[in-house]
Amino acid sequence: MSSIPVVQPSSKFREAFAKRGGAAAARCYQCAACSSVCELAPAAAPFPRRQVLWAQWGLVDRLAADPGPWLCHQCNDCSLRCPRDVAPGDLMAAVRGMVVECLAFPRAFGRLVANARTTWPLLLLGPLLFWVLLLGATGRLVLPAADPQLGGLEGRFHYQDVVPHALIYAVYVTATAWVAVALWVSGRRYWRLLGAGAARHGSFLANLFPVLGDIATHARFKECGRGVPRRRWGHFLLMWGFVGAAATSGFAILYLYGGTPIFDWLGLGHGYPLPLDHWVKWLGNLSAVLLVLGGTLLYANRLAVGDRLVGATTGSDRFLLYTVIGVVVTGVLTEAFRFVALPMAAAWLVYVLHLGIVLTLFLTLPYSKLAHVVYRTLAMVHERMSGLTTG
Amino acid sequence: MDRVGVILCGGCGIGDAVDLDAVAAAAAAAGAAATLVHPCCCAADGLEAIRAAVAAHALDGIVVAACSERAKRQELASLGFDPAGMWRVALREHCAWSHPAGDEDTRMLAEDLVRMGLARMRGCRPIVPVAAAVSDTVLVVGGGRAGLEAARVAAGLGHPVVLVEKGEALGGRLAAQRSVVPEEPPYDRPHPNPIPGLIAEVTSCSDITVLPSTTIGAITGQPGRFAVRLDGPPATELTVGAIIQATGARPYDAHALGHLGYGASPDVITSEQLEVMLLAGAVVCPSSGAQPGRVLFIQCAGSRDDQHLRYCSSECCATTLRQAHELRAIDPKSEIVIVYRDLRAPGQLEHLFAGVQDMAGAMMARGDVDRVRVDGRLSVELSNSLLGEHAAVEADLVVLAVGMVPTAADGELIRRLHDARHQAEHAESAQARADAGRLAGELSRHQGTEILNLGYRQGPDLPALRYSFPDSHFICFPYETRRTGIYAAGTVRAPMGSAQAAEDGAGAAMKAVQCIEMAKRGEAVHPRAGDCAWPEFFLQRCTQCKRCTEECPFGTLDEDAKGTPELRELRCRRCGICMGSCPERIISFQDYSVQMVADMIKAIEVPEDLEGKPRILALMCENDAVPALDAAAANGATWNPWVRVIPIRCLGSTNVIWIAEALSRGVDGVILIGCKYGDDYQCHFIRGSELASTRLDNVGETLQRLALEPERIKLVELSHDEFDRIPLVLDEFAASLEALGPNPMKGF
Amino acid sequence: MKAGRPLLVLGAGIAGITAALEAAEAGAEVVLVEREPSIGGRVVRSRSYFPKMCPPSCGMEINIRRLEANQRVRVITSARVTAAEPTAGGWQVTLTVGPAFVNRRCTACGDCEAACVTKVLDPFNLGMKQVKAIRLPHLHAWPRRFTFDRAACPDDEARAIAAACRYGAIDLDATATTESLEVGAVVIATGWTPYPLDRLPELGGGLPDVIANVEMERLAAPDGPTAGRIVRPSDGQPPARVAFVQCAGSRDVNHLPYCSGVCCLASLKQASYVKDQLPGAEVTIYYIDRRTPGRNEDVLLQVAAMEGVRLVKGKVGRTEQRNRALALRVEDVEAGRVIDAEADLVVLATGMVPSGADDDLALFTRKDEDGFSLDDPAGRVVAAGVARRPEDVASSVRDATGAAARALAAARARP
Repeated sequence: MSSIPVVQPSSKFREAFAKRGGAAAARCYQCAACSSVCELAPAAAPFPRRQVLWAQWGLVDRLAADPGPWLCHQCNDCSLRCPRDVAPGDLMAAVRGMVVECLAFPRAFGRLVANARTTWPLLLLGPLLFWVLLLGATGRLVLPAADPQLGGLEGRFHYQDVVPHALIYAVYVTATAWVAVALWVSGRRYWRLLGAGAARHGSFLANLFPVLGDIATHARFKECGRGVPRRRWGHFLLMWGFVGAAATSGFAILYLYGGTPIFDWLGLGHGYPLPLDHWVKWLGNLSAVLLVLGGTLLYANRLAVGDRLVGATTGSDRFLLYTVIGVVVTGVLTEAFRFVALPMAAAWLVYVLHLGIVLTLFLTLPYSKLAHVVYRTLAMVHERMSGLTTG
Repeated sequence: MDRVGVILCGGCGIGDAVDLDAVAAAAAAAGAAATLVHPCCCAADGLEAIRAAVAAHALDGIVVAACSERAKRQELASLGFDPAGMWRVALREHCAWSHPAGDEDTRMLAEDLVRMGLARMRGCRPIVPVAAAVSDTVLVVGGGRAGLEAARVAAGLGHPVVLVEKGEALGGRLAAQRSVVPEEPPYDRPHPNPIPGLIAEVTSCSDITVLPSTTIGAITGQPGRFAVRLDGPPATELTVGAIIQATGARPYDAHALGHLGYGASPDVITSEQLEVMLLAGAVVCPSSGAQPGRVLFIQCAGSRDDQHLRYCSSECCATTLRQAHELRAIDPKSEIVIVYRDLRAPGQLEHLFAGVQDMAGAMMARGDVDRVRVDGRLSVELSNSLLGEHAAVEADLVVLAVGMVPTAADGELIRRLHDARHQAEHAESAQARADAGRLAGELSRHQGTEILNLGYRQGPDLPALRYSFPDSHFICFPYETRRTGIYAAGTVRAPMGSAQAAEDGAGAAMKAVQCIEMAKRGEAVHPRAGDCAWPEFFLQRCTQCKRCTEECPFGTLDEDAKGTPELRELRCRRCGICMGSCPERIISFQDYSVQMVADMIKAIEVPEDLEGKPRILALMCENDAVPALDAAAANGATWNPWVRVIPIRCLGSTNVIWIAEALSRGVDGVILIGCKYGDDYQCHFIRGSELASTRLDNVGETLQRLALEPERIKLVELSHDEFDRIPLVLDEFAASLEALGPNPMKGF
Repeated sequence: MKAGRPLLVLGAGIAGITAALEAAEAGAEVVLVEREPSIGGRVVRSRSYFPKMCPPSCGMEINIRRLEANQRVRVITSARVTAAEPTAGGWQVTLTVGPAFVNRRCTACGDCEAACVTKVLDPFNLGMKQVKAIRLPHLHAWPRRFTFDRAACPDDEARAIAAACRYGAIDLDATATTESLEVGAVVIATGWTPYPLDRLPELGGGLPDVIANVEMERLAAPDGPTAGRIVRPSDGQPPARVAFVQCAGSRDVNHLPYCSGVCCLASLKQASYVKDQLPGAEVTIYYIDRRTPGRNEDVLLQVAAMEGVRLVKGKVGRTEQRNRALALRVEDVEAGRVIDAEADLVVLATGMVPSGADDDLALFTRKDEDGFSLDDPAGRVVAAGVARRPEDVASSVRDATGAAARALAAARARP
């Protein structure tokens, strides 16, 4: 038999991809204007021209095993210049979405989040219901009472009375662990696929650190075409906002469980509830501010650069956006209600909502756009290790 | 002409450069019946003065020594002289503008030019246009789209049409098509086939006689009155004024495409075979009768291929795109793959291409097809594909987009085949018979390709250029074939799509009608449109050497049994190539003859003393070389003053006697400047400059007889736009002659 | 053929000239209207025709002979149709002609040019050169008559110029005249204009050494701004590396959605200009598809086989000035690599925009959405040449001949 590889187009993938907003791929006539304008495409393995061809043919394996879609930072210069209005930038986003879905662990969850357009009530109400039931089960469906000993920056009551910290941390530590596992499994799958695509040299860690440095400073973003610097700073602030939020939670847990002596010794000590001027609070609030600023910048950018540079927004993108907004809004309100004299019921409701939506954010993270934290990082490390890096 | 006057214009600086009274005196001495010097001949008073002089001296011809004959033509035409009554000497460009004012050489040049013009005019005889009954009927051969459109348009122009189709039905290849590529908006989808409507219009038109199942037995005669014998029920004879050959193309024989699996698997078919299925409304795999899951088109099947057709067949890409649309319409499910090298959808067909890409399940693959494997499911192996260096794509049905081959074969080759066959039997020596037999073998593939069956000495069909496409100047004058009054249209002329074939039919109809109208006026057609002079043969002196009948690029001359030329005036394009070929010099136009040019040469005053000034004769093509020289002068160029330019119709009209005449009279050298020849020839008479160069090769022994160096004769190929080069060519030649030293014949 | 109302041919490019001549030689009366002072449109601005690489002036020589020999064609230059009304038997059109500052008496002797000092950008050479305000439009111009850019000259200089003419050919007080004609049918042969470079900044449009294909034709032409020497506009030096960028504005929804049909062959032809003149030069042609239909395939084969000529599949993404050179960024699709190429001269193969596209004259009865005119036999209007579709010279001549026939037939048809 012939040793020549037989190309196996998948009409199933093509149809699914078309539903994901990839229908325009068919129009591509492979002129390569897209790869030629892309600032980030590695000279030796340029994108997005080839990826569009694979998408046309439904060559899902090649798409999944390719770093290109993740190295793309979607400035949409290609979409702006495409002579056939194929919008390769959006196609790359669609490819990323499908890779996240295909490599998801477990796959069912991936599908659930991918179809957030229809499944969003489940995704939102599920965790909320979980909390309500949990509180019911632990006999804590009661409103908090004002604590006369508290005052000033310490607010009027303990949220602890609504939900004990132990319960919170039990839930979120588990969720975090789950997120880590899910991302780890998907990440491994992707890393293997990448390895099959190209030979790699050097150690993972040795290449990881420069990449993290790149990410921390968003150096790569500087090269990415239009919309910079607005897009760069927006994304930069968002990222550090999330990092800050994560750190806040981390410190809070540490603080609660045996961390106190260390903090005391450092002269940072203070018993719960933490006053508003406590540095952990500062950190948390600062993160929220960063998230809001970043979000605003990105939104402003979308308004400024015009439709073709913005690109299409999928259902799951929108879901993620609303979830994050939900987290920030409920979070800020939760804090506010500690000081504002409103019916305790309102404070309680907002707090439980907050807990629910945060849980949603946690649980969907490995299957949402946020998964790019892992995929893009791996792609960038792979790029270094396989010597594709652009000159 | 007996009473020739010489008109000298002093305008545009001529008067400042040359002493015109001296020139006038020289002209009078040379026998001018009258001379007139005027400061501006083209102005109203100038023209008036000329008319007065003509009347006063009863002049029957004039030499106007002013600007080039390419300037002020319309003004001077108002004097009412035909070409035999007026000759123009480019005193401005070839003398005053290009040579130092007041110089003795300049004066001698002016006097020579005027004497030469005078000599020429005196040789002219009145032109009596050919007058004969002319048929208005246009014969259209072939009932495909080009033929139908030609018939429709010719009838629309008021001419009766006879449409001959060898098959039983009209419509040609398009008859078997459901749709055609879009010719008007919307461009992104096929349009209904216009053929049925066109057939209805043609068959219902009272001016058009449709003769199906009919072929051409023989065509003789000439434009305006071709005698046509039709074989068909019933055999008929008729006279037509012009002929349009729209016999189309046939698909390239796919059996030659074994590497693409044709013949090896019934599921590898041609676009023609797919067309049949599409028309029937069901596309299935011939092997199983099942619907194909994937249909794969292979473009350039046999085209753009050294082993097959070198050229691109032009319409296969559009055809495949159209068929993909049709296939999708009747079968929404099957995958469609198109493997192409360069997707050629020019102009608005880009939208048709995009339309295919928009279809669900359509995939484009750029790459070269190495082969098609037919063991198991069909597998098309690609190289240089964008899917990978080597990749295979499987399919259930493979469609080969085969190219097109013109139905016309080169009529001259067919004739050589017939001659060779005859020689193989009747030649004297066994050697000759063997050679003829071998040649006949080589040419045998042309057997049976006759279509028009012209009773022409030069062969039964249109002569062809490269790739057997019958035309002569496919860029500037695409309809010009080398058989006057016979025009090729549609895919027989060049690979093209159906829309272009229709336009081609209309264009050929225009040319056919035009040819008939010009025949009525006794005028030559392109490129000397309107020329009413024609060649006369003094047959008493003819030696039946057949050079004229062989060399005429347009097959103007037939032969009687003895080989004596028989003139068909209206086939003649007036290039004078026959005149140049004739060793007996018995062919003359009323306004152009061997004798006239010989007299012009005689009129050149050659200083007799060996120390005297050299003289150079330059025979220049009036279509390219002379315009280039005019442009050089207008651009301020100068050149050697010993050169005496004689504009000639075509280098092919050069008779070697002119060269002998010049050299024997002491002219130091002769340079012929004409159009480029070879595959990409620029000669408007196709072979003129080429024939001239072969004739020059034979001048060699003449020179030896005169004990002269061959370097004294030179032929230069030059393009119309080489105004910057032509003065250098002349100067270099002059320098080379100086190195040779004077012509020893001087003074004898 | 009965001579009825004359045929109006709009535009004296190769298509218009052909339509007019073929109709007139068949016996029809024809009026050929041209905006410019001399005929020939785009073809006379080309250095040569593919695939034969022969000079356009060669065929024009014959066409001009045919025009002058034929009393039935009336050529009106420096004229445009300013109004048109359909009538029962055809069209009533109004022509605006002139002003003819130089009249028929002109002998093209050049005395006036010598008296002229004012210089203007040469429209024949696409503004690549300065010429006298009064001049012969170009070396092979027909009608062979000077043209005067009167507005560019101060009055006293204009008077001096007029005084220099010995034949009273210069009329400083000339004004535009109008003329009304009843015609039986119309052939629209208004041709095309090149897609403007300034719309292609990303491809380097606007940089001194980035030129359009039409400018390359002038650069290589013996009667061009450099007398045929192919040089960089910026420093007049011959380029060692020349890059051709195909589909510059064509096949592009952001510019011209259609394929302009001739650019591939034009670039291949121009590559051969470069190699003929600068054998050592490196020539690269960046293309999407090589569109050389019919026997024009020979041109592709010949040029691709030349040493130092490369054809690279890939549409150029960016052209930028880098020191003295130009940097092009493009993916070599077949190699699957993005290359960062340098060139000394970049030729953008810009496409064709139909000249009639924005013309709202009533004569343009049918157009497609890209501005190409469509046949309208019922309206006694037929389109020819590039006014009809993007195509090369041979095709324009072919369908202009057919258009003449269809227009005459339409004119004969009963209203």
